[in-house]
Amino acid sequence: MLTDFLQLTVAGLSQGSVYALLAVGLIAVYTVRHVINIAQGEFAMLAGLGSAWLAAAGMPLLLAILVAILSVTLVAIAMERLIIARVKKLTPLTSIILTLGVSTLLQAIMLLAWGPEAKGVPLFPGTNILIGGVSIRSQEFWMIGALVVVGGGIVLFYEKSRWGKALRACAEQPVAARIVGISPVTASVLAFAIAGFVGGVAGVVASPIYLSLWSGGVLLGLKGFVAAVLGGFVSFRAAIVGALLLGVIEAYVAGYVSSGLRDGAAFLILILVLVVRPQGLVLKPTAVRV
Amino acid sequence: MKKSRLRFIAPIAVITALVLAGCSTSNLGGTAKDDPAAEAGPIKIGAVLDVTGVGASLGVPEQNTLTMLAKQLNDDGGIDGRDVELTIIDNQSTEDGAAKATSKLIESDKVDIIIGASRTGPSLAMRPIAEAAKIPMISVAANVAIVEGSKWVFKTAQNDVVVLERILDDAEAKGYTKLALVRDASGFGEGVAEYITDLGAERGITLVMTEAFEPSATDFTPQMTNVRGSDSDAVIIWGINPSAGLAQKAYVQLSVNKPVYHSHGISNQAFFDAAGDAANGVIAPMGRLLVADQLAADNTQREVIEQFQADYNAAYGEQPSGFAGHAFDAWHIAVNAIEAAGTDADALRGELESAQWTGISGVFQMTAKNHSGLDATALILAEAEDGRWNLLKD
Amino acid sequence: MTHATTPTLAGTRSLRTRFWANNKSTLIGCGVLVALMIVVPFTASSSVMNIVVFAMIFALPAIGLNLLMGLAGQVSLGQAAFFAIGAYTHAILLTKLDLPGPVAATVGVLAAMLVALLVGLPLMRLRGHYLALATLGLGFIVMIGVREWDVTGRTTGIYGISRPTVLGIPIDNSGFFLWFVTPFVVIGLILALNLTHSRAGRALSAVNDSELAAESLGVNTYALRLKVFVLSAGFAGLGGVFYAYQVAIVSPATAEFHLSVSILLMVVIGGLGSVWGAVAGAFLVQFLGEGMRDVIPAIFPGATGEVQLLGYGIVLILVILLLPGGLHQAATTLWQKLPFAGKRPPGDAHAHVPEDDTTIPQLPAVSTPVAAGEPILVLEGLSKRYGGVVAVNDVNLTVPAGSILGLIGPNGAGKTTCFNMISGALTPSEGTVTFLDQVISGRKPHVAAAHGLTRTFQNLQVFTSTDVVGNVYMGRYRKGSAGVLRGMLGLQSGEQSTHRAASYEILQSMKLSDAADDSASDLSFGKQRIMEVCRALAAEPALLLLDEPMAGLSGAEREVMAELLRRLRTAGLTIVLVEHDVAQVMSLADHVAVLDDGVLIAYGDPESVRNDPAVVVAYLGTDLDEAEAELNELEEHA
Repeated sequence: MLTDFLQLTVAGLSQGSVYALLAVGLIAVYTVRHVINIAQGEFAMLAGLGSAWLAAAGMPLLLAILVAILSVTLVAIAMERLIIARVKKLTPLTSIILTLGVSTLLQAIMLLAWGPEAKGVPLFPGTNILIGGVSIRSQEFWMIGALVVVGGGIVLFYEKSRWGKALRACAEQPVAARIVGISPVTASVLAFAIAGFVGGVAGVVASPIYLSLWSGGVLLGLKGFVAAVLGGFVSFRAAIVGALLLGVIEAYVAGYVSSGLRDGAAFLILILVLVVRPQGLVLKPTAVRV
Repeated sequence: MKKSRLRFIAPIAVITALVLAGCSTSNLGGTAKDDPAAEAGPIKIGAVLDVTGVGASLGVPEQNTLTMLAKQLNDDGGIDGRDVELTIIDNQSTEDGAAKATSKLIESDKVDIIIGASRTGPSLAMRPIAEAAKIPMISVAANVAIVEGSKWVFKTAQNDVVVLERILDDAEAKGYTKLALVRDASGFGEGVAEYITDLGAERGITLVMTEAFEPSATDFTPQMTNVRGSDSDAVIIWGINPSAGLAQKAYVQLSVNKPVYHSHGISNQAFFDAAGDAANGVIAPMGRLLVADQLAADNTQREVIEQFQADYNAAYGEQPSGFAGHAFDAWHIAVNAIEAAGTDADALRGELESAQWTGISGVFQMTAKNHSGLDATALILAEAEDGRWNLLKD
Repeated sequence: MTHATTPTLAGTRSLRTRFWANNKSTLIGCGVLVALMIVVPFTASSSVMNIVVFAMIFALPAIGLNLLMGLAGQVSLGQAAFFAIGAYTHAILLTKLDLPGPVAATVGVLAAMLVALLVGLPLMRLRGHYLALATLGLGFIVMIGVREWDVTGRTTGIYGISRPTVLGIPIDNSGFFLWFVTPFVVIGLILALNLTHSRAGRALSAVNDSELAAESLGVNTYALRLKVFVLSAGFAGLGGVFYAYQVAIVSPATAEFHLSVSILLMVVIGGLGSVWGAVAGAFLVQFLGEGMRDVIPAIFPGATGEVQLLGYGIVLILVILLLPGGLHQAATTLWQKLPFAGKRPPGDAHAHVPEDDTTIPQLPAVSTPVAAGEPILVLEGLSKRYGGVVAVNDVNLTVPAGSILGLIGPNGAGKTTCFNMISGALTPSEGTVTFLDQVISGRKPHVAAAHGLTRTFQNLQVFTSTDVVGNVYMGRYRKGSAGVLRGMLGLQSGEQSTHRAASYEILQSMKLSDAADDSASDLSFGKQRIMEVCRALAAEPALLLLDEPMAGLSGAEREVMAELLRRLRTAGLTIVLVEHDVAQVMSLADHVAVLDDGVLIAYGDPESVRNDPAVVVAYLGTDLDEAEAELNELEEHA
């Protein structure tokens, strides 16, 4: 029984790492632009399908992955430059419709380019290990590792570097960011680039075992959102903890209750959190209302 | 005021004119010119298949097969000099899509017979519509619920009960008494647990646990963790590809060291694509198509299978799957019946109830009571090894 | 479409209460729609017929979502969830309980509304993004729920739904079905149109323009939004009922995210806030989807599946970037360019308002709940802190009824913060605000408004989506009573016309009737400020809070304003005003209170305050030149 519990925990943590990377991308964009990027999950799928395609075409795995992640980062920047930046007054309503439009467009492009079937990147090098009956797949190390390296790197960037601090300041006070030496345009592009990058990383590390599917991004992105909400939508650290928690809870629900209810659990958590602490979720207190 | 009154009168005048002019009333259930059940004009065969979505690995080869056969038939002069018009609609692997497509085939295309759908759920959704319109329908899906008690619906895939009997016989012979089931959560997997419990009782086999997965699932860790923790002797994974193949992969990765059976839902290349090396050692009952080269020379199905493989390979450059075989059988049963009875729905239905056909999936003997027409002899047991199936038991 | 023909003044045309169709354009529009729907089955090919039927079915959820997004400004990404709930409930009641169609359909719609109410109660407190994503989550929950529940037939769903029979005629073909569904769409359309023109509808669009201003005029935003959310779910549920009938099966696909996206697309294409746009959008999206399914495989060989999403995505982006008003905007622009398109009919209303500078305008009504001199507003220990910063510190003040209190102080002294705490826009950190013996601090602005307290804003809060009289009309919100239901049934014309007339009178009192029918956003800054005062007065308040009413006004306008305020005071109205123009305050106010750094440093009649050394220091202390200038000004006035 303990073996099962640990097995589910491992599965939950590795799945949670993927959610965490997506949550980091969502928060990066939200803090700067106050946009919740519905296309965040599509970044992951795009990178997964892209690198699977490149790898299948004979490109070395490492190169395929790097090319895919960089391309997705460029897609995210293009999204910011060509679409988001063109709207003068970005209300929640327009930003949702716009990012939804991008999400839908990316899905359609993936469907047209790579067809309706799920595809997987080849497994990364490594060997599965069995500790006390708990089987840990090598890919799960890669997923958790990606979170530690990339997620941790982003957190350090935000907390230690000058630009990172400026990005954080953007959320509170655009003028303050300018003083630190970063223009709102640069900040916005940088935020989207980060979102594309972490989305891409999440997509490629998850693809070998969870596969990438043209329509899979919405659900994945939404899980990232649930994690971000659990973290109060301001703190990377809290969101990462929230994401890991979400992954583990999902795994327990699937293992001990019913696998069909797995996704239901995530959204039930979302709605519960929103109901119980709605005021705690607003980024800025409603102080400056007039 | 005068002007605005005109605005009201104008459309009314247009409507009246149109009605009086006696436009087509085909949208109103009236009979269109080319509709009469008269035995003239092209014969219309409709098909509703899971060409995209989770059932795509089934629907695509089925679509290929029907398209190929329709072309062959028309090249050979059609049926009694009448051309055959085949309309295939993709239901996107959804029940809604299947129902809409069926209504469209019946109401707009006025088809004489319907083939499809590829999977159980969409087939179940089509059934009441075909029955209400009194149009014969031949499903290419497995679950026996599709045809049970129906007057108008037939099917060509081997019944799930027969498949399970084959698996349970083998399990009994090997001395397994406790089985675990990991099944598709959609229509294909419904009722399977109950059948195993019923059929297992007489063989001293009990079902100790059931897990389910969505056809669109990609992560099977929780299910396989539970299976690993159970005290079962062997496991049945019951699904279609790619999910069944992925489940098999997770099964091996999570070191569930128990013998595993699959259903006939995996009899295509997609299984090996999804499962990779993890497929080795899997035992599954299936039709004879995939092991045709290993059949006895005098096997009655051998000739038709080899001809089909050659034709399909020539047309599409790949080997047909078992699902292509279901479509092949459905097409021939339909065409044979039309040749014998014409396109009158009642006559056609009567003819289908006595259909006999030596096909890809077995030797069919339809009766008024049995709209599936296949028994356990239609299946063989095969074991997967390095991307191909080895005949275990004929 | 609707904009160009919306009657600017439903009430002044006729006081007769009109049921259903409220105006000619609606009547014509519905007439054309009905006529088209009668003709289509005779002329359309079967595939076009199919598109038309589904367009009409989806027009219902689209109208509902349009009310929610256009009117209430809330994005729902889970409209398909309610569609599915309606469809499933209907299907289950029909197939498993053998209930008659009308009963099953009604329960289906009610079920969708009930679920909306239950989830709306908590969710409607959320704003913007959170609501959108919560509804997206709800959509997934419903889909998972129906997929996992035996009653809903799990993944296969409910099948074998028999077609309805109306008056003994079985609706067993698309033509009959279209005729069956059309009356419901038309009725739904009229109800929705009525709602947009109603008191509740106007309040909602006011909330969209400025939630703060609307709430301070007595609009309970939360309750209204919740009602519209429930209503919107009802429309979706009804669409689901028809869908179940037409498709004869209800499967988890009805709760799919992509269905919610396509409904959203219908609304966006049609134009947010335009009911006709939603219907047009439904047709366009159905045709677009069908067209894309034919065109895309021709361009990209081998493309299969939901390729229409390519078009959906592109259209969503392009509409928002290039034509944010959707088809409605395009149609309106086109209409105005047509040579024969008349301008809006001149408001026959201001024909009966003779514009004459010499006449003394009638004074707007005020309410005088307490006798002059009695305390009407009491502030006790009022404080507001932001982190370590104290914006307002322990202010105690009593305002007697029927007087004008001037609140002055240097920039950043906490005047507006004080105002916000009084009106309910801010919750005090400490202390209470008592208005007419009721503690109103910490409550929502609409609570204060309900007690008779109205305010204007330093940073103008104009309802930009309506005209000037529409703004003032919103001030009458609290005076009306028609709710969402009455609004939908069009049973409030009488009430509306009374308030319309009152609004014109108030505009006249501030000499603004000339601009009554102009768009509020076109007004000059000063005129907008006057309009806001008119709007506040329209509420017939007992206490009026004016935040810098003179800023941006011309000299003449200041005089009119000052004169009006004096007369209002005479009539018994209590006024508290924050003003930079110290001279004006001194000449107007009965009492003056001076705030500095959040502390009340002086209070008394203008004369004593003017000579209060603390005040002089306060002004001197902030900015020498400014203080000197102001002191000089004071001297001059004296």
